[in-house]
Amino acid sequence: MALQSETFAKSGSFGLPAWLGAGLAAMPRPRAIIAPILVFILVIGLWQFITEAGYISPLILPSPTAILNAFAIDGGTILYNTAFTTIEALTGFVLGNLLGFLLAVVFLYSEWSRRTVYPLAMAAQAVPIVAVAPALIIWFGNGMAPKIFVTIFLVFFPMLVNALRGLKSADAEVMELLYTLSATRRQQLWMVRLPASIPFLFNALKLSACACFVAAIVAEWIAADRGLGHLIVLYGSQYRMPQVWAVVLVGTIVSMLVYGLVVLAEARVAPWLVSRKRPASE
Amino acid sequence: MVAISSEGGMSIRDVGMVYRRGEQVTTALVGCNLEIPAGNWASLIGASGCGKSTLLRILADIVKPTSGTALIGGVSPAEARAARTYALVSQQSTMLPWRKILANVELGLEVAGVDKADRRRRAEEAIELVGLKGFEQAFPSELSGGMRQRAAIARALTLKPRFLLMDEPFGALDEITREKLNFELLRILKETSATLLLVTHSISEAIILSDTVAVMSPRPGRISHRVEIGFGHDRTADMRDDPQFAAYEAELRHALHGPAPTARPAVHTASTYATA
Repeated sequence: MALQSETFAKSGSFGLPAWLGAGLAAMPRPRAIIAPILVFILVIGLWQFITEAGYISPLILPSPTAILNAFAIDGGTILYNTAFTTIEALTGFVLGNLLGFLLAVVFLYSEWSRRTVYPLAMAAQAVPIVAVAPALIIWFGNGMAPKIFVTIFLVFFPMLVNALRGLKSADAEVMELLYTLSATRRQQLWMVRLPASIPFLFNALKLSACACFVAAIVAEWIAADRGLGHLIVLYGSQYRMPQVWAVVLVGTIVSMLVYGLVVLAEARVAPWLVSRKRPASE
Repeated sequence: MVAISSEGGMSIRDVGMVYRRGEQVTTALVGCNLEIPAGNWASLIGASGCGKSTLLRILADIVKPTSGTALIGGVSPAEARAARTYALVSQQSTMLPWRKILANVELGLEVAGVDKADRRRRAEEAIELVGLKGFEQAFPSELSGGMRQRAAIARALTLKPRFLLMDEPFGALDEITREKLNFELLRILKETSATLLLVTHSISEAIILSDTVAVMSPRPGRISHRVEIGFGHDRTADMRDDPQFAAYEAELRHALHGPAPTARPAVHTASTYATA
């Protein structure tokens, strides 16, 4: 048993902080990374070849080098506008998820509010928000507010549904244990319901990590003088397709970064979901 | 030995349990009587569905009997629960997967509002007692079923309960681990002086861990026999080789299945299929 306990102490993997080690452990092995990279290089090479050879009009699909070149020319503008979209998307991400989560907690404890507000929340989700965006711009102006509003709108519902399921996912046996210990409702929430809901919360966060950028960009299409959506519309109207694609690329990279941060946060907040070591025996 | 007084023990008096679901009336328990003096170890043994777990859950205030009274330490189960005088150990170890073993063992103390340093010290003591030292920082998923059950027992002991209610605590384990843990529990019980009520379907487990074995029979669930195990509390693993052990085994087997030569397997199977 002494020997086993030593292996436990050592398993913090190479002096890295335990949560980072766990995060890295959650990532795929080198072989699993190399294969998609090879495929990626192959696709880019093929893309370059087809567009360079003139099989496809550069207006329809610019070559990878043209896109890179566009970034060299307009990189500053693109990054400046990326910052705006990122602020909108992340503000919407935080506020929307907070709203969804808080509503879930309220619904958990108030049957009355669940019966009255939940159908409304579902109806709100059914509203084609992008179609309402022009009205939002009339209400909130041309700045960040309507974009943040659209993002909140698209983000809060997945969180609400997942959080509600997560808060109710606590094992009946565990709740019984807390009952025999005379735990208060608040203790039940903090000690059991919240931790039990964490995998569900992260599912919702992962969904909205990318969705929040899509929401902000689409909202910018309607009316904006800054942001990635604005740039796409602007460059598109000028037929500067390499620039449009450069913007798309940057948007993709930023939302992937946010997604990656969510995955890392999950490994840090919920190490028990990652560490699946072999069970020690008697 | 601990002084025997019915005030400080557990008692089940004329307890009955009837479930009504629409037209259908199911009698789960009828006229159950059991006195467990303070410091005594008692077992409830019987086939699945005989209501033994229900009796234990009545004492734990999880279900209320439809007739009769249950007392635990001279007070109602609800009062005992509020005062945290009993601890429940169930078949599943019910660990919180997000807490390491130490934090899982601390759970009861944390709920009771014990301060951090004290909590830690008492949890470590309990972990040492159940032989889990070195595994404080492991997650439950990293331990075997038997070790998780040790942790569950440690958690139950941290609040120094006067009553231990155990519902088939080793029922999910293999026979070898189970027997090992039976004797471990015996050692732990001797150190705690708690009054024990153990629900089991293992005859040998009941003998190893009891002063009194109450045999239950199903449909309706009732206590049909009582066997006093006269080994005292200074028991060792050698007790299994004692001829008296085999005699108790035979006696309990007869109480459960009827006399040996005319044992009717049909009766046994029928009771196995009875639902809880």
